[in-house]
Amino acid sequence: MTKDGLEIRAVTKTFEGLTALSDVSFSLEDGKIMGIIGPNGAGKTTLFNVISGFLRADQGQMVYHGKDISSLKPHQVVDLGMARTFQIVRPFKSMTVFENTIVAALSPRSRRSRPKGVKSDETAMNVLERVALDHKKDESVASLPMGDLRRLEIARALATYPQFILLDEPFSGLSLKEMDALAGLIRNLLDEKCTILIIEHKLKILMSLAPRILVLDYGKVLADGTPAEIADNESVIRAYLGRRGHAGVDTTN
Amino acid sequence: MKLVTHTWRTLISRPPFYVMAIFFLFMLLVPVMTNDLYLIGVLVLANVYAIFASSWDILSGYSGKENFGHTLFIGAGAYGAAYLNLYLGVPPMLNLVLCGLIGAVFGILIGIPCLPLVGPYLALATMAAASIAERLTMIFSKYTGGEEGLYGLEPITAGPVGDYYLSLILVIITTVILMAIGYSKQGLILRSIKEDETASEAAGINTTRYKLVAFAISAFFAGMGGAFYAHYQMYTGPSSLSIIMAITIIIICMIGGMGTIVGPVLAAYMLTVSNEFLRSIGDFRLLVYTGLLVVIVLFLPRGVFTVILERLPRFGQNREASKP
Repeated sequence: MTKDGLEIRAVTKTFEGLTALSDVSFSLEDGKIMGIIGPNGAGKTTLFNVISGFLRADQGQMVYHGKDISSLKPHQVVDLGMARTFQIVRPFKSMTVFENTIVAALSPRSRRSRPKGVKSDETAMNVLERVALDHKKDESVASLPMGDLRRLEIARALATYPQFILLDEPFSGLSLKEMDALAGLIRNLLDEKCTILIIEHKLKILMSLAPRILVLDYGKVLADGTPAEIADNESVIRAYLGRRGHAGVDTTN
Repeated sequence: MKLVTHTWRTLISRPPFYVMAIFFLFMLLVPVMTNDLYLIGVLVLANVYAIFASSWDILSGYSGKENFGHTLFIGAGAYGAAYLNLYLGVPPMLNLVLCGLIGAVFGILIGIPCLPLVGPYLALATMAAASIAERLTMIFSKYTGGEEGLYGLEPITAGPVGDYYLSLILVIITTVILMAIGYSKQGLILRSIKEDETASEAAGINTTRYKLVAFAISAFFAGMGGAFYAHYQMYTGPSSLSIIMAITIIIICMIGGMGTIVGPVLAAYMLTVSNEFLRSIGDFRLLVYTGLLVVIVLFLPRGVFTVILERLPRFGQNREASKP
């Protein structure tokens, strides 16, 4: 077993008889990016919830940097350097953009990880600049469009100084221009040796970012390989892209 | 660009701060302007309710964890003061601090099992805890005096004006500390918990710890207020644990504006004083009083003072995006 990266071993999660995850295993090295795709209800978000501590796996083991994270609480997972965003954005609605970000900058992980002398306010400002939301820092989040809310989700994750980020459909609801900006940000994070696990339905952009893709279907790992391998995989085409579909057709969506 | 969220200079320019400064200055002058002891007595009661309401607000108003058993902490302070004073001769002033600590211990003891509960379950559990405590005073009447309560506590000051000033100073201390907490990073995190506890956890915040600290702070001031009340009346009884009082405190906070500290403090005066003066209309009092409450809850659901304070100007500097 390697001490680096994340290793998921035979994780199973059921909800009152419904199997959301069944014997899911994979590992991801530090500094790498992996995409996760699969039809609705395939268990993608459940997998994120299990990894990030919001749900407890029924069976299996999850190891990050040699440490068992299977029974950690969400804030403890963040404390180890794994941050996540939510598919359905969860801003603190009565607060400003700046205050939303400060909450994450007040986490123990953030206090510990930033350079000495840097205050939580400055950390918050820095990450807002990174996601290009600094000019809206005093706006109430209630008035923000979806693109900004997605970026705020990422800003809040970044403010905890993560080494590993779980992005749950970060591109949904974004304009083409916003999608380009976000793709650029993700590449920057990779340059900084951040590890990324990303759920995304927009295959074209996902395949341009991730050299490796995991396909989930009915809670099982259906395939795990390069975009080309995935696109050629018979069972993937059947399960995910439809019987008569061709891998090239649906990629615009 | 200013990176600091608040400095004292920017704070005093905000309506909640200058309004409270003016209000407390006025209240300090009341005994100079009148020697109506009945009015002074009503205002002492209002002071006590201001402490109860603002201490409820720092936990429930800020974090959204509605505590329906705040009287448990008040009663812990009140009975604690009675025992410490009657049996150990602890002086009343020291009792204010000691009973605050007793309250805080109860806050933590109740907080630990109750915190995982959400929504109505937390409300029911806290309400049940206070009811059980009230009932226990009957069952162990040998030690608690039962319905009669415990008599003969030392008075805390020499007379009504002294009581008034002491209670007012306690309100001022409580308000300043709770507002400072509310505007601090602790307050911001409590607000984030109210908005979305899951997102707060995902931001790396140990929400349980912050909620527990809020429980302890809230219960400290409730216990302190309870001890003052017991010494002021020179008596404590099961009424200090009653659910009716717990509900009254919540109503005060709702009317004033939850999660603002200032709102509950001002509403404590508004409701206590109006309730007293409505006595002159006799039987119609409850009708008018409850009618008033219904109208306020219907038309100003965020609270009377939240709405007023938002409309007041902010002095100095260019106005930033205003917020409650």
